[in-house]
Amino acid sequence: MNALKTIWAIGLISFQEGLRRRIIYGVVLASLLFMSFAVLISGLFMRDIVKIMLDLSLSAVSVSGLLVPFIVGITLLSGDMEQRTIYTILAQPVSRAHYILGKYLGFAMLTSLIMGILTGATIVTVWGSSHLYAEHFFTSLSFSAIFLSSLMSLLAVLVLNSAMILWCCVTTSSFLATLLTLATYLIGQTVEDIIRFISLHIAGAEVSGLVQKTVQVALYLFPNLAAFDFKQQAAYGLPIPLHEVILLGIYGAAYITVMLLLAIVIFNKRDLA
Amino acid sequence: MSIISCENIEKYYPEGFSGRKKKILTDLSFTVRQGDVFGIVGPNGAGKSTTLKIILDFVRPDKGKASISGHPARSHTSHRHLGFLPENPSLYRHLTVTDHLLFAARTAGMPRGEAMRRADEILCTVDLSHAAHIPISRFSKGMTQRGALAYALFLKPEVLILDEPMSGLDPLGRQLVIDIIRESHQKGTTILFCSHILTDVERICTQIAIMDKGWLAAFTTPQELQQRKDVAKPEMSPLESFFLEVIAG
Ligand SMILES: Nc1ncnc2c1ncn2[C@@H]1O[C@H](COP(=O)(O)OP(=O)(O)OP(=O)(O)O)[C@@H](O)[C@H]1O
Ligand SMILES: [Mg+2]
Repeated sequence: MNALKTIWAIGLISFQEGLRRRIIYGVVLASLLFMSFAVLISGLFMRDIVKIMLDLSLSAVSVSGLLVPFIVGITLLSGDMEQRTIYTILAQPVSRAHYILGKYLGFAMLTSLIMGILTGATIVTVWGSSHLYAEHFFTSLSFSAIFLSSLMSLLAVLVLNSAMILWCCVTTSSFLATLLTLATYLIGQTVEDIIRFISLHIAGAEVSGLVQKTVQVALYLFPNLAAFDFKQQAAYGLPIPLHEVILLGIYGAAYITVMLLLAIVIFNKRDLA
Repeated sequence: MSIISCENIEKYYPEGFSGRKKKILTDLSFTVRQGDVFGIVGPNGAGKSTTLKIILDFVRPDKGKASISGHPARSHTSHRHLGFLPENPSLYRHLTVTDHLLFAARTAGMPRGEAMRRADEILCTVDLSHAAHIPISRFSKGMTQRGALAYALFLKPEVLILDEPMSGLDPLGRQLVIDIIRESHQKGTTILFCSHILTDVERICTQIAIMDKGWLAAFTTPQELQQRKDVAKPEMSPLESFFLEVIAG
């Protein structure tokens, strides 16, 4: 009980500190502008209006979420170590595990808020457009698919956040942490494609068993972020199977747990000099 | 009763890019008893801050162990009823000093109304009432030092650990810190601090340790120093002359 209160207190102060960075508002504002632009553009493609509008808007939601660990997360965490603000937190009866979990909670709240606002804006613009343009263009529109797609994008960012925290605990250099988090994102986006390519056994592009095994191991080390992408389904109004959502929820939660546990173990060994 | 104790602590830091280890603290042992005002003095780089960081578990010793109020430093329960002021304290730049105090209140489960009352009180004590709602990024160095001091004192700690509490303060601020330490001492708070300002240390401490090159080179008390007054050089305070004697070997 006490531990939860402590983690909540750390989460809240990190959330507050993140929220007072102007750059956050820049990101949200840029996304909103981009969404208005998407509404204008999609008006030119009457038949595909919903698809284009959702494709662009949901991409804006997910990109804005992805920016959080890079522009706020890493600066806040490494700033804590470099400027020794961490002493302020750890001077209280707070363990290092509380600190890591609290920081994670703070970033999760920040990401959820930003992505929540932008998803809300997407739903409002699509709903508004359905009154503005001919109704029959909007028959495939599914608000639940939009919601689920954004929820899965959020989960992907939460997974990336946990990897970011781990990298910040592994290295003291914020530059290296950024690079490693970026690599995690890029590999996480493509690892599924690589696996598919290998299993296709295209003639002339034979892949040795060793490479195959290596890539398979990589699939388990890096989060399969592409699996969380349901933007196409939302854009076409296709149903998103609930069992897939649940499985991804379990996968995401397990991945986050492992990353945070590793982060705690490594952080526990570090000198905060 | 011993409140803070260090037993045979040894600490190495990696040096430069080679990663070769340099010995920073050597077989360091001392105890701070309940109600003591224990001052550590020593030249730059002697290892004073490192010692405090080990007691607070920010840094892990290679040998030996530290404890606060009977709790091993490794356990975060040792930070209950503890206030710490770091050397060159750093607070969250975008938050106000009140935000920091409310954080401390939340970790201690203090209700918000009480926390706000206590915040007013402590900010008044450190003369920061006018700056309660200004982000730290607009603070001067001395204001940040006062803010961090308020943060350390906020929960009325039983143990206070202060690293160079007077640094960056004007004469009024310095006197304020001295008054706060004296007042806390009268209330029974155990205080461990390090400082360069020997005259201040001499005025407020009940125990003084002189540290040099990672060793605790000598212990003394103001009473002992008084008895040495006649040996001391006339232009120096007794602690200054004792300090130079010890450091010069
Ligand atoms: N993070 C670190 N990595 C490597 N060496 C360090 C680190 N921090 C301190 N040192 C070294 O440890 C020694 C003791 O440093 P410490 O900060 O404890 O000294 P100090 O007595 O507090 O000095 P000052 O009076 O200047 O504050 C110094 O030689 C310093 O170079
Ligand atoms: Mg120091």
